[in-house]
Amino acid sequence: MTVATPHPPAGARPAGADNRLVVGGTTMTWGTLPTPVLPDPAAVLAHSAGHALAAARQHALHGTELLLSTVGRVDAAMRAELLDAGFTVTVLDDDGAHPSAPPRPRAAEPGRLWLLTSGSTGRPKRVGHTLDTLTTVRAGQPDRTWLCPYAPGTYAWWQVVTLSLTQAGQHLVVVEPDELDDWPAVAAAHGVDAASGTPTFWRRTLYRDAAALARVPLRQITLGGEPVDQAILDQLREVFPAARISWIYASSEVGASIVVHDGRAGFPAAWLGREAPGRPTLSVHNDELVVTSPYHGVGLAGPVRTGDRVQVVDDRVLITGRLDSDEINVGGSKVSAGVVRGVLTGHPAVAWARVTGRRAPVLGRMVVAEVVLTPAADVTDEAALVRWCAERLPEHAVPRRIRVLTEIPVKETLKSDV
Amino acid sequence: MNELSRAQIRDLMAQVLKNQDKELPADDGAQLREIGFRSLDFSELALRVEDETGEELNFDAPGLRRIATVSDVLDFLVELQQQ
Repeated sequence: MTVATPHPPAGARPAGADNRLVVGGTTMTWGTLPTPVLPDPAAVLAHSAGHALAAARQHALHGTELLLSTVGRVDAAMRAELLDAGFTVTVLDDDGAHPSAPPRPRAAEPGRLWLLTSGSTGRPKRVGHTLDTLTTVRAGQPDRTWLCPYAPGTYAWWQVVTLSLTQAGQHLVVVEPDELDDWPAVAAAHGVDAASGTPTFWRRTLYRDAAALARVPLRQITLGGEPVDQAILDQLREVFPAARISWIYASSEVGASIVVHDGRAGFPAAWLGREAPGRPTLSVHNDELVVTSPYHGVGLAGPVRTGDRVQVVDDRVLITGRLDSDEINVGGSKVSAGVVRGVLTGHPAVAWARVTGRRAPVLGRMVVAEVVLTPAADVTDEAALVRWCAERLPEHAVPRRIRVLTEIPVKETLKSDV
Repeated sequence: MNELSRAQIRDLMAQVLKNQDKELPADDGAQLREIGFRSLDFSELALRVEDETGEELNFDAPGLRRIATVSDVLDFLVELQQQ
């Protein structure tokens, strides 16, 4: 059953309604974007970035309950789960909305937005938000044209989209997955001067065509979604000496909690335990980052254990990776995969690295790595990289097997599970 | 199972040491302690053998107590592949 959307109440026009949107090369505005008729509550599986924006606009205007994702991210089991939870699962494409009604319809929760976590550590789960809790940039911003490379419906996607919906002068250029490899050309053509992406996204871009990236007139570069190491910050600074380079720690569960603009990896240790109205409080418990955030998801009030491992080095708190995968126990000695990854990516010939523990006789696990070398790299063999690590790491932390890949792997979430 | 010969395992052992700027002596009677071949190196060598053969090797530390020379390492891994 498709429920007709009510007319928008007076004054509901988003502040960013006149912002420019570039979708598939076509320029429009939030105000002129086609508005679909969507069920309420709906789990919308958008066929393209443009359809996702249309669903977001519909929610902003009418406040209907919405879970937004893509056809590719929701498998048959998840569709069944959503139907069982009372959502009308609706594929949105050029022909309109194609709804599948739930077996037991329920009343909608006005204003509710649902996110599916990326599911990197298991089955995706639903986290409840509202447009307000997803809107974390509230202070006035200089006019910007943002690139939005993220998969529709992810937390990072909503961050860029809410910025454009709620503030005048924040324009958007969206790229479809099949345009991702050539985004610098699209961005340069449409005057993109701000872009947000994962470290993997930025590494891939630098790896594929750093010269094309340099032609994009970026004034704001943002990284998030994965651990951010010093090497990628330095590489971007080299290409864009005048841009503001920021990294953000954000998640569906606790919202945007850490924003760092000083060009350094990690955040100042002085921020731990600092309390201020309207701002998240950060702490560390047994090497785990704990966040108490005003922008948390439904049911996540109070301190939230993030599952992310941190390490305090001098005056900085470094986020090294997921707690369940970052720590590698080598014969009783603990190794942080993130620290080893940082050493590898600090090598001038390494464009990307993944560090893992591999089962090994006697020691239980050993540190191993996969790397992608920069196109300009002189031939670098495993021995050279092992020696580079041996000069900078304790013996048990040195990766003993280093496999060279030919392409930086990336998932739809722009992450590569490093 | 794609078994490695003693000579092939010896080449892999030489590679483990070469990555650390060390050299595998010609004499298989050389003491591991003297050439600096330790438990981390032994585990790495086992991984290299696994990568070449596609088979997982299973053994633990007690089985290594009698291993003191290059020859002991090679004998141990040759025998282990046959188990």
